Amino acid sequence: MGDEKKREGAGMSRRTFALGVGGAGVLLAMGGLKLVPAEAQVRPPGGQDESRLVASCIRCERCVEACPRGALRPAHIEDGIVSVRTPTTNFNDGWCDFCADENDGVPLCVAACPTEALALPADATAETTIIGKAVLIREWCLAWDKNNGCRFCYDACPYEAIELDENGRPVVVPDNCNGCGACQSVCVSQKEGSYTTGATSRAIIVVPESEA
Amino acid sequence: MSQKLRIIIPLALLGAAGVAYAAHVSAGTLSAFGWESISLICPIGALGTMLASKMLVPRAVISIVLAVAAILLLGRAFCGWLCPVPVWSKLRGIFKKGGTSTAGAASGISSAPDAAPGISSVGGDLGRPSATEATSAAPATKATPLSAAEKRALKTSCAGGCSSCADRKPADSRHIILGGTLLSAAIFGFPVFCLVCPVGLSFAMVFLLIALFGGGDVTWSVLIIPALIAVEVIFFRKWCSHLCPISSFMSLIGRANRTFQPAIDDAKCLETAHNATCGRCAEACEVGINPRHPELGTTFNECTRCHACADVCPGHAISFPLIARKTAGAPALEPTTAGASGTSAIEPELDLDEPSETLS
Repeated sequence: MGDEKKREGAGMSRRTFALGVGGAGVLLAMGGLKLVPAEAQVRPPGGQDESRLVASCIRCERCVEACPRGALRPAHIEDGIVSVRTPTTNFNDGWCDFCADENDGVPLCVAACPTEALALPADATAETTIIGKAVLIREWCLAWDKNNGCRFCYDACPYEAIELDENGRPVVVPDNCNGCGACQSVCVSQKEGSYTTGATSRAIIVVPESEA
Repeated sequence: MSQKLRIIIPLALLGAAGVAYAAHVSAGTLSAFGWESISLICPIGALGTMLASKMLVPRAVISIVLAVAAILLLGRAFCGWLCPVPVWSKLRGIFKKGGTSTAGAASGISSAPDAAPGISSVGGDLGRPSATEATSAAPATKATPLSAAEKRALKTSCAGGCSSCADRKPADSRHIILGGTLLSAAIFGFPVFCLVCPVGLSFAMVFLLIALFGGGDVTWSVLIIPALIAVEVIFFRKWCSHLCPISSFMSLIGRANRTFQPAIDDAKCLETAHNATCGRCAEACEVGINPRHPELGTTFNECTRCHACADVCPGHAISFPLIARKTAGAPALEPTTAGASGTSAIEPELDLDEPSETLS
């Protein structure tokens, strides 16, 4: 700042100085937006340390582009101001298997992240990395609400994290769930529209581990 | 032609990024472009992310080094050729007068004669005794001091004919904002500027539109992001010259740039070859550089290599050589090295741009 002061004396007009200080002030005030409570997001693998992700992410959206399953999306303004354009998951279209086929189990989003906002320990695997936890909403679930024996999520789960109860209704086993989103991607409760009323999401969704 | 290219290239970059996004090819944006694990990060983003996370990120360090090298070689060429912001700011002309910036430049030229008849009439040499004198005395013709009448004429033409002068001339407020950008990232622990960077937002806008029409992803961001760009760039007119911290970074590093700067071939320049007054290059310059009389304009570290001066030069005298040849023309680029005896004497009173800046 001392440098700028000096140059002000050397010829920066008062108006220019005020503009600069005003602009810098706006940026400092915007830093305070971090204090605004934001909804927790399900982050891509390696982004579970929220403070690190927010600190490092430059919102370049490389990870979103890199995901071969379309399982990532940039967060929107509705997800919280500071989260805008940071990566969050979108398991309605695809789910995360750590790019087992595409990149030998090393997630492409993590490889693409230039600022290490997404970073995994060397020994991380899909099984040991908890992206989030699946939650089943019984009021919207066809098996629970309509008793129609729907078990798409049970069939899709690669980690035996969904069991069927004595009536054939799915139940999540949180200890086995790593939040891969396979169940959410196949859930038909909302796709079939009229089957459930008042549903704002699918009947089984992945939520941040802290909210499970 | 170069002026059209300067609109086409940034739009093509946006389009290419959009195609890559839709195809799930991780090619990135100007915030960070590359291939798979290779990335070149925006230097402001790289500095911000490291200050915020307090981590040394190899790819960020490499990106900063490469950016500095590029700026040392090409100055602010990014601003002139790749950045989408100048393209958006041209939209302002459409809203205002139904004309683009070229219309503005034309009106500037046409109105100049009213304010200062001597300056823009190419043929009419107002009688510059000092000029002819210096030509015969020293080869450094372009360091010729301007006569008092000419300085007055320049001043009046600036204050009257060309009102955009002060707006386009880069100001040091940028540097304070760059300081605020880095300080804010360090204090609050996230790259704050990335949130509102109009370059990043431009690409985000393309992605949002693809998601909206391609995937039905409806969000308020679709309205808020373009509104933010409009406020920053179109409504608030001084983004590039007065506010942008990226421009500040390039301007600061660019002070050490000596290559590919506009150089005048004295054998072709109307002022030196035909003893005429012209000044078209200075009128055309978007950042207020005066290639013919550098001491009257902005310093060369602000040059965006936009080639506007070369395009308008009636004698086609301006080129952008790797290194300006140290011939008669060269001293003009660096007033301090101009050997002409008169130069050092007039230097103190050459702060013509000072009053004009404070005037408006």
